[in-house]
Amino acid sequence: MTERKNEEALGRREFLQLVLGTSAGLLLAPGKAFLRTVGRKETGLKVLVLGMDGLDTVLLQRYLEAGLLPHFQKLAASGTFRPLRSSIPPQSPVAWANFITGTNPGGHAIFDFVHRDPQTYLPVFSASESLPARHQLRLGQLTIPLSGGEIRNLRRGRAFWQILEEYDIPATIFKIPSNYPPVETRQRTFSGMGTPDLKGYYGLFNYYTNEYKTVTEEYGGGGRVHDVYVIGNRVEARIPGPNNPFKKGNPETYVDFKVFIDPVQPVAKIAYQDQEFILREKEWSGWKKIRFEFIPTQSVSGICLFYLKEVRPKFKLYVSPINIDPADPALPLSTPESYSRQLAQKFGPFFTKGLPADTAALENDVLDEKEFLQQDELVYQESMAMLEEELNNFRSGLLFFYFSNTDQSQHMFFRLIDRDHPAYDEKLAAEFGRVIENTYRQMDRALQLALEKVDRQTVVVVMSDHGFCPFRRGFNLNTWLLRNGYHVLRPGRRPEEVSLFQTTDWSRTRAYGVGLNALYLNLKGREAQGIVRPEDKEPLLRELAYKLEQVSDPLTGERVILKAYLSQDVFSGAHLAEAPDIILGFNRNYRISWNSPLGSFPRELIENNPQKWSGDHMTAPDLIPGVLLANRPARLESPALEDVTAGILSLFGVKIPPDISGRPVF
Amino acid sequence: MLWWLNSAVGTIVRVIFLPFSSASPWGALLVISLLTALLLLLVYKKTSNQAGLKQVKNRIKASLLEIRLYQSDFRTQLGSQKELVAANLRYLLYNLQPLLVMLLPIFLLLAQLNLWFGYRAVRPGETFLLKVRFITAVDIERVNLELEAPPGLTVETPPVRIIDLREAAWRLRLEEPVSQPLIIQVNGERYQKEIPRGGRRLSRISTVRVRRNLWQELLYPGEKPLPSDSLLSRIELSYPEQRLELLGLGLHWLLAYFLLSVILGLGLKGFFRVEI
Repeated sequence: MTERKNEEALGRREFLQLVLGTSAGLLLAPGKAFLRTVGRKETGLKVLVLGMDGLDTVLLQRYLEAGLLPHFQKLAASGTFRPLRSSIPPQSPVAWANFITGTNPGGHAIFDFVHRDPQTYLPVFSASESLPARHQLRLGQLTIPLSGGEIRNLRRGRAFWQILEEYDIPATIFKIPSNYPPVETRQRTFSGMGTPDLKGYYGLFNYYTNEYKTVTEEYGGGGRVHDVYVIGNRVEARIPGPNNPFKKGNPETYVDFKVFIDPVQPVAKIAYQDQEFILREKEWSGWKKIRFEFIPTQSVSGICLFYLKEVRPKFKLYVSPINIDPADPALPLSTPESYSRQLAQKFGPFFTKGLPADTAALENDVLDEKEFLQQDELVYQESMAMLEEELNNFRSGLLFFYFSNTDQSQHMFFRLIDRDHPAYDEKLAAEFGRVIENTYRQMDRALQLALEKVDRQTVVVVMSDHGFCPFRRGFNLNTWLLRNGYHVLRPGRRPEEVSLFQTTDWSRTRAYGVGLNALYLNLKGREAQGIVRPEDKEPLLRELAYKLEQVSDPLTGERVILKAYLSQDVFSGAHLAEAPDIILGFNRNYRISWNSPLGSFPRELIENNPQKWSGDHMTAPDLIPGVLLANRPARLESPALEDVTAGILSLFGVKIPPDISGRPVF
Repeated sequence: MLWWLNSAVGTIVRVIFLPFSSASPWGALLVISLLTALLLLLVYKKTSNQAGLKQVKNRIKASLLEIRLYQSDFRTQLGSQKELVAANLRYLLYNLQPLLVMLLPIFLLLAQLNLWFGYRAVRPGETFLLKVRFITAVDIERVNLELEAPPGLTVETPPVRIIDLREAAWRLRLEEPVSQPLIIQVNGERYQKEIPRGGRRLSRISTVRVRRNLWQELLYPGEKPLPSDSLLSRIELSYPEQRLELLGLGLHWLLAYFLLSVILGLGLKGFFRVEI
């Protein structure tokens, strides 16, 4: 069965359907009866934690020295400013899970953005899984689910706010990554990174144009181009929605819309369902509701942004990924469930997708830098308004508030502060070379707001999960394994044409790479067609680690992989057996290539990264630590993420449970 | 003629709602539902054949009893069924006259109530569309269109002219409550559209002004109709629809009004000795 599956030419789209298609069935899952926040005591102490994803020590220090960040300066002077050790690997879902659970990946079971199914060798999302309804009734073309589907948060271990709950200490956790769907708790939580769009993707935009254009529908996201015709100043198209679990074959739902263009002026009216609005060229619409109907009595609601990029000579309309409507969430977003509705009532629609800024649209030149930054500004303004609201309501216990802007802008704009980056462009650098600096200044304003709103007794912590470095060159791990005889392909197709291990000869393959930092052995008894005997595992791992650490880039002479970590050496906990066998700690400027993580074998072993996604954080964690600032002195010289967790618990006088490996930082 | 009738009904409704301008819309809806129920009961009592209704209802009850008692007697069953159908038809016939008498006043009233409960006023900072529909004689591509916005209202976009729909639309932003009307100039002809003022819990919101036309005037009684030689057939503001909040649910006013009127009517029919 497994073999047959791999032999079939599994297209990228089919694969996505395989992985994501089940999500639609979940839209009808009966709402989980989250407990209401009750019986919470007032604590004398208040702790505010601002989580700024990817805030980098080196850049922060640089901007501090330039006097650009007065409020960071103030906070640093009042207590602590030091690097914060990140996770292995320093990817956001892993690092934030370390913080959430106070333990290492062996304890929380998130090892990478992407894991693999040992039965099929195919990549799967690490953070959550979607299960369709177990029982269905088929009536002709209709399929009636007899039970709800399920979405599971795959992170294991207790979240620190669940521990606080046991001590009746209230907490509000706003958009922390690695918490989708939000774990059951009486605390107020809103899910962050990992929250999908309404289609079940991590963000799939739609682009309508009469110009020839291709974009990548990548793993779990990207975009779709819709070829349209302008006839009589009118465009007719459709917005794809979630798959319909009520119809045989789960076809995609859609909403038809029309665009009426003025014969002369660069302005158009867009109409669908009961919505009508006018956009000028180069104007954003603001949030618009959209409803996808399954059958007359069942539908789901989403929200999206329209951007009229160009009216003529070419027609270009961007529609953002359809976010789950927080006023009427089709998928779980918060605990209690009413928290999401309360926020929607107060603020109207807002970004609910995990990473809100549409980096894929910028990557594919659907949005240019300026347009992307306009969207990013919307994200920031929304976050600031909500931070202010939460600070106003912050009476007791803990408030954690997350910002994604730092991560997103560094991913997309590192190329414009790094002259040696293959995508460096002097002209663009002159215009957008200060984007990262401006994002740090935005964070300074967020900190200013927080410092103004809290009293002197409140413990204020600013932390990041990891730092950043340039991503100049990409390493093709599977190509390296192939060339060194650890991976074997069946003859027929050229290696560079293969994806998802379609032609791998598993009976002769000893190792494979899936994910962004992960290498797995084809282990007998664990993998479906494993050949490496358990007794051969240890020497093979040592051999691979040694050889990988010797790989050098012929272009620069630098080592590509600074450290190949054996998971058995660096992880501990109940889920160690699920870990990849080796975690690659890349050198500065290096990362896994774009194609290798999904089972491809590009021709070049190391290749330039010419893309706008130009900064990253997949190195050895010591190279890119996160940041810890607080208005309290730190006890530890070199704290790690887990130590902050322990520190928060100890501030509230909570005894550190044995499953937390961190030591109190405060 | 119709405009005068609409104005008269509108004035009555306005007077009834006067004490409720700062109260919850539910209060006004309850009062108008009560008045409607009373009015309908009285009209029904005066215009229907009360004795005939009583008789036919007794006949229906008797037929139902026969059907139940003589279940084993097929011939009697058939006869009773026939009687039942005939009695039902007679019942419907007796209702026809009061229905015809009440149809027009109820229609006029519903159109007025839609002005009070159908839409909510746009708040400062919000945007909305202004749409004008042209008569067929106007060449939309060449038409000279100008908009004079009163202070407090900003015109954010040039008009989108949609030839297929014979329409032009603008996006407007309300900066502050406005007291003067909007002027639309079409080839030099000036047309006014009032900009409804909000700020109160119960406001009369006229979103559509139509050209003189019996049916259209019945539907949209909020403003004096445009002259019959107007170049515009309709001026519309796309204000947000309003829902009445009840225990977290948003109810359409028509449903709430219908339910309240029926409940109150049935509750009061005994008091007024009305046979329904």
